[in-house]
Amino acid sequence: MARITLTDLTKVYDPDGEAVVAVEDCNLTVDDGEFLVLVGPSGCGKSTTLRCIAGLEDITEGRLEFGDTDVTTYSASERDVAMVFQNYALYPHMTVRQNIGFGLKLSSKLSSSEINDQVESVAEMLGISELLGDKPKELSGGQQQRVALGRAIVRKPEVFLMDEPLSNLDAKLRSDMRTELQELQQNLDVTTVYVTHDQTEAMAMGDRIAVMDKGILQQVGPPEEVYRQPVNEFVADFIGSPSINLLSADVDGSTLLGPGGFKYDLGNASPVEGHDRVRVGIRPEDIRLVDGGPNRAEVTVVEPMGNENFCYMELEHIEMTARISPTQRPTAGEEVAFAFDEAALYLFDAETGDALKTKTDESPDNIHTEVST
Amino acid sequence: MSTQHSDEETPVSSDGDPLRLRLWDRIRFARQSYTERMPQIESIAYVFISPFFLLFGLFLAFPIVYTVYLSFFEYQSVSSDSLFWIDIGPIFIDVPQIAELQFVGFGNYAHMAGDSLFWQSMFNTTYILLIQVPIMIGLALALAIALNASFVRFKGFFRTAIAIPVSANIVAYSTVFLLLFNEQFGFINYLLSSVGVEPIAWLRDEFWARKTIIAAVTWRWTGYNMIILLAGLQNIPQQLYEAAEIDGASRWEKFRYVTLPQLKPVLLFVVVLSTIGTFKLFAEPYVITDGGPTNATITIVQYIYREAFQNWNLGYASALTVVFVAIVSVISIIQIKIGGDD
Repeated sequence: MARITLTDLTKVYDPDGEAVVAVEDCNLTVDDGEFLVLVGPSGCGKSTTLRCIAGLEDITEGRLEFGDTDVTTYSASERDVAMVFQNYALYPHMTVRQNIGFGLKLSSKLSSSEINDQVESVAEMLGISELLGDKPKELSGGQQQRVALGRAIVRKPEVFLMDEPLSNLDAKLRSDMRTELQELQQNLDVTTVYVTHDQTEAMAMGDRIAVMDKGILQQVGPPEEVYRQPVNEFVADFIGSPSINLLSADVDGSTLLGPGGFKYDLGNASPVEGHDRVRVGIRPEDIRLVDGGPNRAEVTVVEPMGNENFCYMELEHIEMTARISPTQRPTAGEEVAFAFDEAALYLFDAETGDALKTKTDESPDNIHTEVST
Repeated sequence: MSTQHSDEETPVSSDGDPLRLRLWDRIRFARQSYTERMPQIESIAYVFISPFFLLFGLFLAFPIVYTVYLSFFEYQSVSSDSLFWIDIGPIFIDVPQIAELQFVGFGNYAHMAGDSLFWQSMFNTTYILLIQVPIMIGLALALAIALNASFVRFKGFFRTAIAIPVSANIVAYSTVFLLLFNEQFGFINYLLSSVGVEPIAWLRDEFWARKTIIAAVTWRWTGYNMIILLAGLQNIPQQLYEAAEIDGASRWEKFRYVTLPQLKPVLLFVVVLSTIGTFKLFAEPYVITDGGPTNATITIVQYIYREAFQNWNLGYASALTVVFVAIVSVISIIQIKIGGDD
């Protein structure tokens, strides 16, 4: 087990030719035993970062340490990492038993019977004992996923790397495996870096999440902090489902004036001081439908989720979403008035996207209590 | 919905040129209407597939069956006597005998056992096969792996250059080898003498004559096999190598545990094909050594050719052919049984 430290890590593909910068000056520390999730849209450099940690990609610049050891120039086989790939990458010609035991056979001095014992105990832990004699192609996606996990666990590695391991599973299995993976990681207490493009997965699984965009690490923090105090508009937009509602507004003293007659009086205008124009963000759960008020939007679609309704609205040409009580069912085409608290408001710099103000409503202690509408 | 969509224009095709599009539509509509008006004939499909069966029957199935038939006879002469005739009133079909034959039962097969030249040709063919096929496939695999390596440049050029011999005309390239390996004036001996090696009697010496044949066949077919193996290599998912690397595999272990097992089906295909190909070797020994010296390079197919078209022992040649096909089939089946478990 080890702490992972990335210092100014940079990865440039084809540095002599087109020079595509995949990761730029990434500084990140993953604590011993921590479960860190790297999240971002496709092409943001999260997988490349993971592959640099694994040793599958050369690090162009910067340093990578496991514990106190500088492993920047180590090959993958020297780093003592285990990795679970998106499509599992099981060896098709080997049985499950051989697949799981392969790493031990190559890199440990254990006897065949010792390897066999360990393979069997891991298989038992994952509930795949009866599959040990099968070839990967005879297994379902979920079973292959378990074999891939088994192959990683059995090595007792210092570092566990997972590259979108759940994205090839169907939705039900995915959420089951999510919980199982978390339990497994807690029991094994291995430092884990987990890559996903799915922000729900990131929020649910990570001790901390690291949000990346365009090769640059945007923010690292516990899920709630990233959700409530995003450093910029990108993070606010990427984290949260349904996504945050964003619109541009002109600043007139302490009043925000947006499209479609949007108007909001700030109690505290200090965040917008010196700005003519800002970006306004409101989380869907913070929007209430009210009987009257200055802010009105036209309902386009209402999606009943059972426990709540997603109400999609148009404010001029801006799509907005509100999570409302299942008892409220406005009809499409209806014009509704909406309101929100200033404490729930996010404000971003219109040019740089940097956060000027973030959520200050509930304290993290009671964040899970229902918001009354 | 009260939302106003003012921009509801008809989409203009990105191809532009409405005239051309209209013309294409015309053609399409015409074709569709013809299809609808076409008469439906129940069994028309058989008419469409019949050319294949006619050609197959005439040029493939019949000769095979007739070869087996011939192997039980001794050929006497060409004949125009009737084999059988069909008389249905106005139509009279007379099928002539192709040849005048004398039935000998298994006599041809029995004769083989004591035919020293048959055994000699079997030995020569096996000898060439056992040396040539492993060398060629080893070479082809090494070249394929080299060309598949990420650091190699000008891959396209090398791939084509190495594969090009397969397009050479067999007689033409054999003649070139004949000239290259000529004892007195050949380029190979010239090269050897320039580094102080005594000239070698390539075509007069039993040992070297076989090696010359092996060299020629290897030169022609290595590139072909390399292309097939290269395609196989490129089909191996990169992630398997990455998984193996993380599992701690060295370069050799990656080859041993990922490349070889993944390449096995392709390798098997190449081995079976090469074995069959070399087993039916004919043109190279025919042109380069003419089976010599003293029958040291005569191959089984060359022997069949001699028996059939120089000695006119068509019956015996047919029996040889049947045995030859049987041997090739058995070898191929054994290779597939051993090599292909999936």
